[in-house]
Amino acid sequence: MDFDFTEEQYALRDAARDFFAGESPASHVRAMWASETGRSPELWGKMADTGFVGLTVPEEHGGLGLGAVDLVLLLEEAGAAALPEPLLETTAIGVPLLVEAGTEAQQKDWLPRIAAGDAVVTVQLMDAPYVADAHIADLLLLHRGDALHAVPRDRFAATAQPSQDGARRLFTVEAETGDDTRMAGGAAEAAAAWDRGAAGTAALLNGLSQRMLDVTVAYTKDRQQFGRPVGSFQAVKHKLAETLLVVETSKAAAWYAALALAEGRADRSEAASIAKVAATEAEIVANRETLQVHGGIGFTWEHDLHLWLKRGKALESSYGTATQHRALLADRLFS
Amino acid sequence: MRIICPVKRVPDTAAKKAVEPDLTLDRDGVEAVLNANDEWSIEEALRIKERTPGTEVVVLCVGPEQAQQTIRKALSYGLDGAIQVSDPGISGSDASGIASIVAGALADEEFDLVIMGNQSSDARTMLLPAMLAEYLDLPALTYCTKLDIDGDTVRAEREMPGGHQVVEAKLPAVVSVVEAINEPRYPSFKGIMAAKSKPVVVKDLQDVGLDAEMVGLEHAWTQVLEVTPRPPRQAGDKVEDDGSGTVGAKALADFLVARKFL
Repeated sequence: MDFDFTEEQYALRDAARDFFAGESPASHVRAMWASETGRSPELWGKMADTGFVGLTVPEEHGGLGLGAVDLVLLLEEAGAAALPEPLLETTAIGVPLLVEAGTEAQQKDWLPRIAAGDAVVTVQLMDAPYVADAHIADLLLLHRGDALHAVPRDRFAATAQPSQDGARRLFTVEAETGDDTRMAGGAAEAAAAWDRGAAGTAALLNGLSQRMLDVTVAYTKDRQQFGRPVGSFQAVKHKLAETLLVVETSKAAAWYAALALAEGRADRSEAASIAKVAATEAEIVANRETLQVHGGIGFTWEHDLHLWLKRGKALESSYGTATQHRALLADRLFS
Repeated sequence: MRIICPVKRVPDTAAKKAVEPDLTLDRDGVEAVLNANDEWSIEEALRIKERTPGTEVVVLCVGPEQAQQTIRKALSYGLDGAIQVSDPGISGSDASGIASIVAGALADEEFDLVIMGNQSSDARTMLLPAMLAEYLDLPALTYCTKLDIDGDTVRAEREMPGGHQVVEAKLPAVVSVVEAINEPRYPSFKGIMAAKSKPVVVKDLQDVGLDAEMVGLEHAWTQVLEVTPRPPRQAGDKVEDDGSGTVGAKALADFLVARKFL
């Protein structure tokens, strides 16, 4: 059985890499920290034109009709770029949730606008206390009890909360739900969306960890100490090799989770939890070791590394911490 | 309107390049990419296509089988089709040889405009556009920073030292463009997915009316005699300031005066 990605999926990944290198370099992420909303509607528009945003939107609603496996490498690239935009919430979670659980009217109303880049979606699942990007979202998909609601902009209020990542703002929300916001699906679809969130966050984290590692490897080839590059010292090599090992294996877990979600396999929830645990723990290693290898400069404001370190810390707890997912896994596997 | 965009497969600009024993570039050892300057010509062709309904843009690439990758990349920008000229006898051809091959490939094609980058990032001869125009017996408008098509006339602004020249020609014509002409778009995902289903016509030397006696390394009009790596950068002069800034400032001023900046 061939588990490799297709030539086309790699071509999309390469295109995403070029796009983010040009449109969301570290200087852009830094600028978003300082901006009022932390978001760039211009970049979101370009992402929609290129095809990122509507990737999972069915073709009849103006999208590309692709799935989780096509998306996973793009999420890695978005993670590597510490992309500020809510690609995960909109394209990886929101759109599939609308497709699986939305009424026909909700789908007709929202999916074409999302694909065109005219509507941003965010989600609140599993009683998560904070909602990312609620201040710019046009649609909030909300899980309350056994019900799912699609709440438009004018029916919810967002209150800013402290976030350690200035380019990913967090909010508490108060939503006015009713029969008119109710979606067709319920708890089962909400659980699937949570799995997509966990697996998608894992892909973001893996890209982020890889980027921190790449930046650090480049730094150790450049930085001299005792008359030679610090990367030539065995203790430094070991740290980087250990990091590579955990990041590589974590990627495989996220790829399998994407496949399990795309095909609706019976083990998709387990796969998503394993992916999130692996990616979180790999990121913790990457975060610690790349900062350590950089030395003092790694936590200066002027160095770009902290942009990734803080995104990593922020994503560790989104869509479930490693501990939560371990508990979920234990429940599913041993009950 | 039908536009031809000749493109070249080149070694990644950032990669360290090596030469083979016959002094041709080692093309297998490094990652190959679409020549960056050709992204400007593709973008310009697409803009004309968007302004002029019914326009067809065809990419043309001379290169071995692996050049299909470069062709797919070019097609992913939204081009309509491709012509590839591939033949073992082409290897090592110089600018004149390649120009004759491109001209041969276009002999049976209907087209109004050939738009190409002004140079390739590997050879950097800048000769091909003018040579191609000569072989095709068409006007050549080179180093263009602006293009306007009006009926059967192309009007262009050419980059010149100290200004620009406005030139025009009747179609068909050969145009080469420089970086200032536009900002190339990113290929869309739709374009990438559609690229594999676009038609690619593959021709060999015989199809383009040439034979192996006319092109290739052995029959090139120019010969590479020697390849010398660029000398390493020399260390600059270091000025020790006494802390007051006056020594450094004077040294800097002297440096600028000596080079006539001040």
